[in-house]
Amino acid sequence: MAAVTETIRTVQGLEADKYLHGFVTDIEQEFAPKGLDESTVRFISEKKGEPEWMLAWRLDAFERWQAMEEPDWAKVHYPKIDYQDLYYYAAPKKKPQLNSLDEVDPDLLATYAKLGIPLREQAVLAGVINSPRVAVDAVFDSVSVATTFKAELAKAGVIFMPISEALKEHPELVRKYLGSVVPVSDNYFACLNSAVFSDGSFVYVPPGVRCPMELSTYFRINAQSTGQFERTLIIADRGSYVSYLEGCTAPMRDENQLHAAVVELVVLEDAQIKYSTVQNWYPGDAEGRGGIYNFVTKRADCREARAKVSWTQVETGSAVTWKYPSCILRGDESQGEFYSIAVTNGRQQADTGTKMIHLGKNTRSRIISKGISAGKSSNTYRGLVSSHAKAKGARNFTQCDSLLIGKECGAHTVPYVEAKNAHSVFEHEATTTRLSDDQLFYCRSRGLSAEESVALLVNGFVRDVLQELPMEFAVEAQKLVAVSLEGSVG
Amino acid sequence: MSAPFRIDLRDVSTFPTRRDEAWRWSDFRRVVSSPAAPAPEIAAPEPGGPFAAIEASETAFANGRLPDGDATAYLTLDGGVHRLRFVTQADASGWQAGVRILVPDGASVVLLETYESSGGAYVANAALTFHLEDGASLERIVLMDEPADAVSVSTATVELKPGARFAQTVVATGARLQRHETHLEHPGQGVEVRMDGLYLLDGSRHADLTTVLTHTGGGETRQMCKGVVTGQARAVFQGKIEVRPGADGTDARMRHDALLLSDRAEVDAKPELEIYADDVQCAHGNTVGALDDEALFYIRSRGVPEVEAKILLTQAFVGEVVDRIGFEPAREIVGPWVAQRLEALV
Repeated sequence: MAAVTETIRTVQGLEADKYLHGFVTDIEQEFAPKGLDESTVRFISEKKGEPEWMLAWRLDAFERWQAMEEPDWAKVHYPKIDYQDLYYYAAPKKKPQLNSLDEVDPDLLATYAKLGIPLREQAVLAGVINSPRVAVDAVFDSVSVATTFKAELAKAGVIFMPISEALKEHPELVRKYLGSVVPVSDNYFACLNSAVFSDGSFVYVPPGVRCPMELSTYFRINAQSTGQFERTLIIADRGSYVSYLEGCTAPMRDENQLHAAVVELVVLEDAQIKYSTVQNWYPGDAEGRGGIYNFVTKRADCREARAKVSWTQVETGSAVTWKYPSCILRGDESQGEFYSIAVTNGRQQADTGTKMIHLGKNTRSRIISKGISAGKSSNTYRGLVSSHAKAKGARNFTQCDSLLIGKECGAHTVPYVEAKNAHSVFEHEATTTRLSDDQLFYCRSRGLSAEESVALLVNGFVRDVLQELPMEFAVEAQKLVAVSLEGSVG
Repeated sequence: MSAPFRIDLRDVSTFPTRRDEAWRWSDFRRVVSSPAAPAPEIAAPEPGGPFAAIEASETAFANGRLPDGDATAYLTLDGGVHRLRFVTQADASGWQAGVRILVPDGASVVLLETYESSGGAYVANAALTFHLEDGASLERIVLMDEPADAVSVSTATVELKPGARFAQTVVATGARLQRHETHLEHPGQGVEVRMDGLYLLDGSRHADLTTVLTHTGGGETRQMCKGVVTGQARAVFQGKIEVRPGADGTDARMRHDALLLSDRAEVDAKPELEIYADDVQCAHGNTVGALDDEALFYIRSRGVPEVEAKILLTQAFVGEVVDRIGFEPAREIVGPWVAQRLEALV
């Protein structure tokens, strides 16, 4: 009950269309010239001091991207993006080496403080001794400026560093796995990302190692009209385990900002990756102006037997969200899970879901998706569950529930099921309803206000998914859901 | 996807491909790559067909033509039972035909629609429109029984006035490509809709049951689709329920359950909900799986041979759809008709 009370207090403390995380930190930045052509790609690669093969890889991606067309099948509408009107690289002007927090700009630390990120992680960033064990790879715009806990992770053999650094220190690993899950020309936005990705996280967990702490990255889109092209690559070698948290906030803006990230997860025999996301980027104002475009490609490849991937996402932000964290269940008996809460309010649009592609024998997957639409928003679950002829014994359970709050919002469910052998069992259930009057009346009759009642019922609705979040995120996520729905009642 | 694709067999550019979302699993242009030659004129068939035992008036198309040579029938059905037959005797040629049916105020009609043939690799394209006036009621029972190398598309649009009742049961046995598509606009205002389907496929047959239901007012919709697929056959179910702004009070339920009996068979399903009103209750369920081993084991332990046990279970599985047919004489014909095909399948 304490958490709910807190949720309500937070809601009350806010005014309509007031985005808690809308502020700009003025740190000098270094930009690549506006626009995108081959020289931009070369500029980025050179800035990061990349090896020759990496540049060739980027240029190849750029060439392919030019031949591709922007897809339009999602149930989202947004003004056409002018790719020549964006900056593709922005790095804080800083000393080249940043190994200790002392070197981090105090403004930057203040930024994290303002984000209202869990105190424990702020403490980590601030370098407090004996602070909780959460390793943060902070991505401030495009360059990872500080990676904490590197030493402790190194002791366990875990590699956790910006991908640009990994390219220098572990080129063989990056080269082996980069683009092996999401091929260069997989889709329009992934291809663009391959050409111009700025930075991101690289994680390698060696065989048999259970990562001693949860790894966490805070993405932050800061410079005006800067595309943010993150590239994350996580490899869990045989029998290892890692839990990765990704949380996002962005400052208030008038111009739409494009975010086209690619996340690749490679899971080998008996390994497990748990990937959790809380996304609350700026959704735009009450008229839907200025929000973030979040067009992300996330995919996990369970390459060997008994590999397991679990995606958990809480999507409350962005003007347009377009993402489908997927699992390729290649290894026999591998498992994929997808737990999602997508909240849209105002004029937000979300088209999100997952793909579970069963290729190996006795593979299992589970999809729990909870969509909440309020205001004039549109919320779509789109998913694919497929089994190959050889995927004997494949098993899927899908449940997607939508909750509608208000007369002008939309909730859509578009599941695709493709079963290609007689030994797989696929079940799918979906419901769409509004908040039950009976339940609201009951809550009101027990003395709760309308807002309190809604917060209580919504928290109940999404509980199945919240339970899957790591502790660090669960409380924050619960608050986020409530804050996102603020102003939608009555 | 809310308006149906208008295929004109004379014009290849109107042929949908799998790049068209509504046809992603039934690539028409892959199986029909050039304009179809017109099917020959044949004599009008003897009255009857699968529902011959039921006393009814009849409209029969022979290779897409009515006895007077027309390709479009305008029917006003003000009561009773009517047979609508599409009879094909053609090979490597095609026909297209249209039917417009009006059911006037308060009339109650049963339509027995059959696709019959003795031909081979033909292409058939039927377009139907139904218009039900205030308080009218129509039960449409469709049997699609066509050769394995035929291509057949039947597209219907349904308009309903207040108080109308529309019930549909489609039984498809597939063809090289067989598609039955229904577009229905549900205005609420006391309208009741039931849309059921059943497919029984073997060999390398392909059947596609597609429905698009648009609620512009509240009201009730019930949809149940079941199917059994074996061999290398492929079944497609695409069901969409759209609830437009203001269609409050909509209560729509959709179910699709498929039984896969062979490792080379395939079922593709897309049960879709698109909802723009908040005072609604919408649900869909979708399952694909094999026969329950435990149930099979139980029946066998009672001394029933395996094949019979399988037939028993599949019959029970599809029986639900047949049982929902309201017009008893038709139900009594469809039941054994389905049972006979199931035995061949299992």
